[in-house]
Amino acid sequence: MCKIGIPRGMFFYDYFPLWKEFFQELGIEIIVSSKTNKEILNLGISSCVDEACLPVKIFHGHVEYLKDKVDYIFIPRIMSIDRMEYCCPKVLGLPDMIRYSIGKLPPIIDTQINLRKSNNKYKKSIYDTGKLLGKDFWEIKKAYKKAEKSYERYIYLLNKGVVPIEAIKIYDKVFKDINYSSEHNELTIMVVGHSYSIYDEYLNMNLISKLMSNNIKVITPEMINKEKINRYSNKLPKRMFWTHGKRIVGSAFSLIEEQKIDGIIYLSSFGCGMDSVLVDLVERKAIKAEIPFTLLTLDEQTGEAGVNTRIEAFIDMMKWRNRDENNISAFR
Amino acid sequence: MKNFYMGIDVGSVSTNIVILDEENNIVWKKYLRTQGKPIDILKEGLKEVRKELGDIDIKGVGTTGSGRQLAGLILGADVVKNEITCHAVSALDFMPDIKTIIEIGGQDSKIIIIRDGIVVDFAMNTVCAAGTGSFLDRQAFRLGVGIEQFGKLALKSDNPVRIAGRCAVFAESDMIHKQQLGHNQEDIIWGLCQALVRNYLNNVGKGKEILGPIAFQGGVAANEGIKRAFEDTLKQEVFIPKDFDVMGAVGVGLLAKAEVKRKKTTSFKGLNISNIDYKVRGMECNDCANLCEVIEIQEGNNILARYGDKCGKWTNSIKDSSKLA
Ligand code: SF4
Ligand code: SF4
Repeated sequence: MCKIGIPRGMFFYDYFPLWKEFFQELGIEIIVSSKTNKEILNLGISSCVDEACLPVKIFHGHVEYLKDKVDYIFIPRIMSIDRMEYCCPKVLGLPDMIRYSIGKLPPIIDTQINLRKSNNKYKKSIYDTGKLLGKDFWEIKKAYKKAEKSYERYIYLLNKGVVPIEAIKIYDKVFKDINYSSEHNELTIMVVGHSYSIYDEYLNMNLISKLMSNNIKVITPEMINKEKINRYSNKLPKRMFWTHGKRIVGSAFSLIEEQKIDGIIYLSSFGCGMDSVLVDLVERKAIKAEIPFTLLTLDEQTGEAGVNTRIEAFIDMMKWRNRDENNISAFR
Repeated sequence: MKNFYMGIDVGSVSTNIVILDEENNIVWKKYLRTQGKPIDILKEGLKEVRKELGDIDIKGVGTTGSGRQLAGLILGADVVKNEITCHAVSALDFMPDIKTIIEIGGQDSKIIIIRDGIVVDFAMNTVCAAGTGSFLDRQAFRLGVGIEQFGKLALKSDNPVRIAGRCAVFAESDMIHKQQLGHNQEDIIWGLCQALVRNYLNNVGKGKEILGPIAFQGGVAANEGIKRAFEDTLKQEVFIPKDFDVMGAVGVGLLAKAEVKRKKTTSFKGLNISNIDYKVRGMECNDCANLCEVIEIQEGNNILARYGDKCGKWTNSIKDSSKLA
């Protein structure tokens, strides 16, 4: 049986349930690279150009990890995933960048996903991908239908308040009993940033689980429904042309305006051009609404101790504030 | 017998110990160099407490600083708190209506924004050396001036020289250039103070609303030149607490006191820990590709803690290792 490798990075965290179902339905074995670890990070750093952002470097590492284990590697060329919108230039060029910097690769399936103008092209790319793997029209159509279903289920879970790391775990069939966030959390924090930063637990040093183990409820952009994201991002004076950007700004704005959160942690990668604009938008909005905001900028040199101190201080600040509102003496 | 509380700030460069009394007065303080051996230094510190104050009754202990978890474990601290919270607590004790805290130490700097007695925002710089005390030390050395005289000399300047403060490397080469042009020492020193303040306000203080009263703490607050440069730039007085150099330790001491009042008992192991044998052992775990450096601390024959693992398999094998370690 032919094996397709799926690197656990970049858009993996957005679309894995879709891809997985599609390929499996076509009777193809998929191999996902293991979770990011030190070895993968180091492989990525040594093969990728130095100027790239951390998520792109890590993605390189995942490809390195897979390249000798599979017959194909799936790296879709994601141009646009919504009408009149684009992805970051580094995402657009990802398959080329990989080909250029990593030697001895198996063939790359770089299905072009471009929904900027219409859906038809998208359908064609799906059929092309299936055909490449020797499948016929009806097989492909059926597989895609099923994949869409499972993707919808995934989105449904997210909108129900399951943090995507947990939701992906359900699909990995590793994790059985996810706890739907309880009502008894002392604080609710939004963790905002690109999906591949906030759900890669190695990259962000387990930020989400650290917060959750401190009895904090975590909300991420992917947990906000699309309609709401559109409504709130439309309030920007200028249209947001980046899909992730729209999601980040729209979800953050909605939670800020609805006063549903005690604080925001923005997780950014050093050197991310898109973030330099987004962080500013979110921060300003948060300050106006008097919601605590903090920015964590990560690269491969970031030390965990410093990050922990920041998170701790941030949590203290919010608890202190809440206690103050309840008129209990200032500190402790 | 009188009650005392101890606050300890274990940083990468220095370890500060303070002893507070029931009225929050500092009855004793000590500054030690950490020298990469935090456990030995802690033992030495406690030995000195005993030697100078006798077997006093310490009712509560708190630890802060980058080595807070380790120190907390070894001492049996009642509170283990991050530096931001501790600096805020001590500054509020110093001046209840404080609105901004500037903290500049040897290796890092912070800004803490306070409104109505609570922290509303903060930022830390741990990357750029140009905004910290070690930068000043280095330049003082280069100019052949003791760091103690640095501030006084700066105040004598009547013809300031502008020195680029964006980054430590540029600042240094710019300073050398100005020296070669023949500017006098006082002017160069004053220029350096201004460069540090500019760097701090542009990096750490970026986008923050700096309102008075402002407290200035951390080791660099000893430098009158820096104080003046802040006052000139911010156009208002900057207040320096008497114990500016140990405010982190004071803050966590105050928190320990509050915590002990609440739980009515301390977990402090006593001043005689200097007699206990502690061992720190590092090992590389080979069980997966992360190859974590796991640190193990032994107290006598017991394993006190393990940390440094990504997956928690070592940490969880011991009961009371703290969560964020
Ligand atoms: S948006 Fe930012 S983090 Fe994402 S690929 Fe582009 S530069 Fe990297
Ligand atoms: S401690 Fe855990 S994460 Fe680290 S190398 Fe060992 S098994 Fe892997």
